[in-house]
Amino acid sequence: MGRVGRAWPALSVPPGLAVKLLLLAAVNGLALLGLPRMVEQRQWGLVVGVVVATGAVDVVYLSRVRSLLPLKYLIPGTILLVLFQLYPVLYTFYTSFTNWSTAHNLSKEQAIELILARSEAPRPDAQRFQARPLVDPQGRLALLLTDRQGRLFLGTPNGLEALPPAEVREGPAGVEVRGYHQLSLVEAAAHQEELLGLRIPTAGGSIRLNTVTTAAVATPTLRYDPRRDVMVNVESGKVYRPVEGRFVADDGEALFPGWRVFVGFDNYVKAFTSPAIRGPFFRAFVWNYVFAASTVFLQFVLGLALAMALDHRRLRWRRVYRSLLVIPYALPSYLTSLIWAGLLNQQFGPVNRLLGTNLDWLGDPRWFGLLPKSAILLVTMWLGFPYFFLVTTGALQSIPAEYTEAAAVDGASGWYAFRTVKLPLLLTAVAPLLIASFAFNFNNFNTIYLLTRGGPPIAGAQTPAGHTDILITYTYRLAFEVGQGSQFGFATSISVLIFVMVMAISMLSYRKTKALEQVR
Amino acid sequence: MNRALRFLALAAVVALVGAACGGQAAPPTATGTAPPTTSPAPTLSGSLLIWADETRAPIIKTFADQFAAQNPGVTVEIQQLNFGDIRDQLTQAGPAGEGPDVIIGAHDWLGQLVTAGVVAPIDLGDRAEEFLPVAIQAFTYNGQLYGVPYAIENVALVRNTELVPEPPATWEELTQVALDLKEKGAVDIPLGLQVPDPYHEFPLFSAFGGYVFAQNPDGTYNPEDLGIDSPGGLRAARAFREWTKMGLINKDVNYDVMIEKFGTGKAPFAITGPWAISQPDTGFKATGVPYVVEPIPPVEGGMPRPFVGVQGFMVSAFAKNPLIAQTFVVDFMATDEAQYALYQVGGRAPALRSAFERASSDPDIQGFGQSGANGLPMPAIPEMASVWTAWTDAYTIIFSGKGDPEKAFRDAAEQIRTLIAGG
Repeated sequence: MGRVGRAWPALSVPPGLAVKLLLLAAVNGLALLGLPRMVEQRQWGLVVGVVVATGAVDVVYLSRVRSLLPLKYLIPGTILLVLFQLYPVLYTFYTSFTNWSTAHNLSKEQAIELILARSEAPRPDAQRFQARPLVDPQGRLALLLTDRQGRLFLGTPNGLEALPPAEVREGPAGVEVRGYHQLSLVEAAAHQEELLGLRIPTAGGSIRLNTVTTAAVATPTLRYDPRRDVMVNVESGKVYRPVEGRFVADDGEALFPGWRVFVGFDNYVKAFTSPAIRGPFFRAFVWNYVFAASTVFLQFVLGLALAMALDHRRLRWRRVYRSLLVIPYALPSYLTSLIWAGLLNQQFGPVNRLLGTNLDWLGDPRWFGLLPKSAILLVTMWLGFPYFFLVTTGALQSIPAEYTEAAAVDGASGWYAFRTVKLPLLLTAVAPLLIASFAFNFNNFNTIYLLTRGGPPIAGAQTPAGHTDILITYTYRLAFEVGQGSQFGFATSISVLIFVMVMAISMLSYRKTKALEQVR
Repeated sequence: MNRALRFLALAAVVALVGAACGGQAAPPTATGTAPPTTSPAPTLSGSLLIWADETRAPIIKTFADQFAAQNPGVTVEIQQLNFGDIRDQLTQAGPAGEGPDVIIGAHDWLGQLVTAGVVAPIDLGDRAEEFLPVAIQAFTYNGQLYGVPYAIENVALVRNTELVPEPPATWEELTQVALDLKEKGAVDIPLGLQVPDPYHEFPLFSAFGGYVFAQNPDGTYNPEDLGIDSPGGLRAARAFREWTKMGLINKDVNYDVMIEKFGTGKAPFAITGPWAISQPDTGFKATGVPYVVEPIPPVEGGMPRPFVGVQGFMVSAFAKNPLIAQTFVVDFMATDEAQYALYQVGGRAPALRSAFERASSDPDIQGFGQSGANGLPMPAIPEMASVWTAWTDAYTIIFSGKGDPEKAFRDAAEQIRTLIAGG
């Protein structure tokens, strides 16, 4: 550091360049920091990506080639876009074509290893020993074993050898026997792979270490044949063949765990054919559309109304009102959603007390859950109106006063002038935001989940579903709550379907917006 | 010239930063590729990572420190997770090489953990006999042991001895006493039973002869025989609706309401487990409310059978230090001292016989023990995961007071059968 520090003033680098170099160095340093771990985990795609991205950043910012100049502005955004948008989307697509789930959670290598390891667990009636791990000066490992009768043995990969007690000397750091000395727990930890891999052949199997102090006789019941890619039962010769990420025998018996495989369109086929989906899915879709559209509409109308009301120049305390109105938007919606759930509680919630009613706001299943659905819409309106209040306040101020004055001169009344002059101008500015808000609310998992968890339950549905379930909460139920473990492959396939739907709706809406601009 | 200097400066800075980072990254890679047979002077120190929830993390810490002290060079790190998150996080983090060596969990996770292949078998050998048989049986899955059990838990009736000095002989008597107290205004709620929650409702459900999965002769559960809509189950559905109409069960009572009302003497009875007694601040011990733990009295002559859950230590199949992990759970946590200390913190009955006998002078342990003696082990088969949501929905419908209660259970049973068939 010192040498570099002294060298720098002599080079008289301009401060801007120095900052640039430091930032570049930080980027390179971060990349170097991450690479060893990526290599260790054999994430080759990631390694190549990081190297290419870092190299590109270095070249673009250090080169003086004019044609690369625009890239200086584009490359950081592009890299972040690929990293945080494109990669997750592609990974989701990829996952939707696999059977990744609790039962197919591992890679094939991991699964084979685990199946074999499990098949070697000692039986309850197996012979057991007290054990002490040993090592000799050449680094060869052995076990000092004591059986139930107190007899001593030296266990090496060559076999078991009876030891006269006289040969075992108790030292301060454990026993010493025939040039071997005992490993402490820490030393044993350093050799644990080899110690756990140590097999001492004996009658009825081989002895293996369980803990640092115990060992047992065990025989693997299965063996993997890599040439035929099958598992074979050692005793009976029964063969298990790989079928869709599991070893399955001819009689249907399957070995666990399974592994992740590519299953093509199976998840999509299931999404369209399984009775679980056909039933509640359509209801969830209809409510989802109503929910997203109504939420945006209500938020926009309330926000616009308040913005217009506070648009009067002569209104006193205008800024105070505006600041207060933004509060619901400034508070984290995780918190406020939970607070609303409490406020709307039938017995203990203040809303019923205030209104003198006894309504089950979030749990009444009558009329297809009309009451909880309305309550959810009111809460989402409260959560989101400040956004449109802020946006429309800005948009209203950008509409020149002459337009409205001209309308007034032409004799247009207030409402007519608003509808024909202000609103169209406003909509051209706000329409893309309305579409974005619709897309967001279409997948507004948090609010639904925190308020009702999708409930109240629909009586008699084919699979557990609630009246206020939207597609994404219903998918969550199917994939993570009601099945046997997590079903990532299936969940992502539904996410992809939702993605396609939202994209189609957004594209249609944008086309409508274009038409709106023509009006102008 | 200028450009060359720039590149030089850059190279220097990059090399510097790189060296600094490389210095940090070096040790793990170096140890990872240690040659297989080295001289017996390893530079590596073993480290153990344990996942525990907030109530158990502090007590495990004392033992972990003790373990580390007895084995110089071994370090033990404890990460605190929500109890419910431990299972799912292990399933994902384990195979990715980011997971712990040891977790604390419940036996009914085994179905999923074993299916996913993320827990390793444990061999207790002869020491298995030092444990209560129910505990070992609970952690045995497909004939293999996957955990060292340390605590047994189940729900029981907790009675406020000031409000109700004598134990009610029957559920009907209990109902009468509770509703009378409510009518007099002496209490806010007649019964602290959290709803809708199939686990807490199960003792009353089972008293009518209802069952979730039928048991095979060897005690394992048969996923083909679902009993939620069995005749006993349907009778239970009608009874739950009647109790709702009487006001004995209230759909707005959750865990927080239950513990607050009973803890402040505003509920004469509660059906809950040891956690409600030992919880800091609001637990029944902390508030000083006079209580006694006893079995739930017979309902229409039928014996309530709570679910019995067993908690224990499990070793990840992807443990980075499998040998130390096995040694820690088998040689260290399966001891009388450790099991007794865990009882003192959690108030749950120890799974080790000797610790259990020491703890059984505790009247709470006796009460929960008597209640659990009639209990059934919580099913650990993966099919159980399909039961909870559907059954909770059915209870929601029953406690809402609207719709046919028997149909709610029949629908739930159909939903569960559909889910099990669909995998």
